[in-house]
Amino acid sequence: MSPLPSPGSRGFSRRTLLAASAAGLALAAAACTSSPPDERERVTGEQADQLLGQVGVQETLVAAYTAAGAADPALAGEVAELAAQATEQLERLRQAAPGATPSSSSPGTPASPAEARSWLREQVSTAATSHAAAALNQSGARAALLGSISAGLRGQDGLLA
Amino acid sequence: MADDGAGEGAQDLTAENAALEQALAAEHAAVWGYGVVGAALAPGARGTATTAEAAHRDVRDTVATLLSQRSVEPPGAKGGYALPFPVLSPTDAAALAVVLEDGAVAAWVRVLDQAAERSTRELALEALTGAEVRAVGWRAAAGQTPVTRALPGL
Repeated sequence: MSPLPSPGSRGFSRRTLLAASAAGLALAAAACTSSPPDERERVTGEQADQLLGQVGVQETLVAAYTAAGAADPALAGEVAELAAQATEQLERLRQAAPGATPSSSSPGTPASPAEARSWLREQVSTAATSHAAAALNQSGARAALLGSISAGLRGQDGLLA
Repeated sequence: MADDGAGEGAQDLTAENAALEQALAAEHAAVWGYGVVGAALAPGARGTATTAEAAHRDVRDTVATLLSQRSVEPPGAKGGYALPFPVLSPTDAAALAVVLEDGAVAAWVRVLDQAAERSTRELALEALTGAEVRAVGWRAAAGQTPVTRALPGL
């Protein structure tokens, strides 16, 4: 009998992702034990710029959680865990793009408290779509990070429905 | 030769194919496991498991075809799998479904990491997202919290 695949047995570490810098360096750290450092970890200027852009996308989403919560305090309590996850995602993106500086981009505000949930859901969906598109243009650990964040936000989107 | 829209120049597909083989193994396990999940659910609640199983079958077949086209022998399903815990109730079934989907999520994130082809990243993103969205529903059904993950598969 074969054990069911374990998420923890993939040989893919947090350290791996932290090592993925958008600083334009061809990193010495291999993404996985199965392959040597290669093209996947090489970052073009365009890719680095795009990753910085995704930091901004995530900053906007984090601000959207704050704005939605301010508009509807009951919603704020309900989505506190989701907001914390969005912040965690932002931190990981910043680690992957060390040149990123906090932006002042605002998502706006919900038109009314009653619309806060649907407005927030739209913000989450927009960010997920953006990260997914960016993941296709990246490679290696950066693609994995963006894809993971996008999938996580799709999960949030479904929960907010 | 890889047609990579993200990198500079060509890469071989050895690492990508290896990751796809692992993803295929996870999909085989999911297809098998959903049989167990469905059997432990009430008849009226089996639709979600059936839909999930069908999704994994589709992905499994896509990956097997892709590997075959690359002259890589796609790994087949195991004769049997060891359950991580007894599945005796609908809650157990939901918890098993979480294990299956989390396994698929991790495998597809690895594919994203290893992919040289843009088309493979597209496949991985779709499979990864579908698995995580299903996992959210199963975590809720299993009473697990939080039901969402910030960084699924990492």
